[in-house]
Amino acid sequence: MFLNKIIGLARSPTSVNQLSNLFQRCLISSTSAFQNKLTPAQSLEVSKYDERKDPVKNINEMIKNDEAGRLFAVVHICGKQFKVTAGDIILIEGHWEPSNGDELRLEKVLLCGSQDFTLIGRPILQKDLVNVQATVIEKSLSHTRTHFKFKKRKQYRRINFQRQPTTVLRINSIEIKNLVNQNKNAESLENVFY
Amino acid sequence: MNHSQFLVSGFLRAPIYNGIGRQINQLQRVTLKFCKSHGSSQGMRNFIENNLVDFAKQNDSVVLYVKPRRHRSPVIVAEYLNGDRKWMSCHNRPSEEILKWLSLLSLQAGDTEPIRYRKHWHTDVPSIQGPWNPFTHKNPGHIIAEYPHEGLGRVFKAPQSATEKLLKIAKKRNESENKKE
Repeated sequence: MFLNKIIGLARSPTSVNQLSNLFQRCLISSTSAFQNKLTPAQSLEVSKYDERKDPVKNINEMIKNDEAGRLFAVVHICGKQFKVTAGDIILIEGHWEPSNGDELRLEKVLLCGSQDFTLIGRPILQKDLVNVQATVIEKSLSHTRTHFKFKKRKQYRRINFQRQPTTVLRINSIEIKNLVNQNKNAESLENVFY
Repeated sequence: MNHSQFLVSGFLRAPIYNGIGRQINQLQRVTLKFCKSHGSSQGMRNFIENNLVDFAKQNDSVVLYVKPRRHRSPVIVAEYLNGDRKWMSCHNRPSEEILKWLSLLSLQAGDTEPIRYRKHWHTDVPSIQGPWNPFTHKNPGHIIAEYPHEGLGRVFKAPQSATEKLLKIAKKRNESENKKE
């Protein structure tokens, strides 16, 4: 009830003055919501550089001991990007030369990851680092797409039917062939703008 | 217009293990039916005369049957390893077109009925690093903390209530008057 009265008074400026006069007599203590600022949760301690925690070293150790496990990669094919792992099937639309039984190496690998680490290309990984093998298993045609153009009150209507050639790829394997950060011939980062 | 009423949608599929180890062409058998005298089979007859042997040599895994029959229009019947059967009329089709359709049929993998693919990707292992959840890549301190938490559970920007506004004004007045005194 009291709160409602205050809010009702607050709507007219004159009564606000009266009310504030009233408050002059009272001791005013602001609520805790005003005073306490949000403190960040316990911050993560950033430890000093520890050689045992060097990520590149650890990743290379995993690659050497064959502990990386199942890998996935983001590959760029015919203008589209697919996140693939061994055994996947992907469909590529449009005219593309490879035919059934062709074994391909997908060279534009944007990213390669395992359970414990991720290698990110900028924009693509070095060609000798990751080997993504694929096989063409089907060449077919897509469903019929209808292109219907119509202009009202102009006696204009055109209808075209179109089917795109499609290619189905099976991803055979994804392997990390070399150690990370080892290729000295790789382009230095000073010359790369991104 | 609701396309799903007449255009079946589905997901990408492939014959099991095809392309793992090796790729197997799925076309098993082709039967070419035609008439020896009728004009509608002219293209088919030309194809059999000129292109059929080459086609058979290129596709040695395909069994070809040629079946003449009187006064019926020409037909291609293709049978696949998965049991699928594709029937195709070649009435008045030229030989080039028949060759084109046959080479398409030889590269397809059964299930030749066109469907609208919902995704151009199929996988048995959808996630390797674990699916995303609201706590991935978040500060571990936030995850370990016990909730309800006094600091973390608070609303960041609570709008000022009328009471609080009035209290502020009153406080200001009090302070200014105290100074005067």
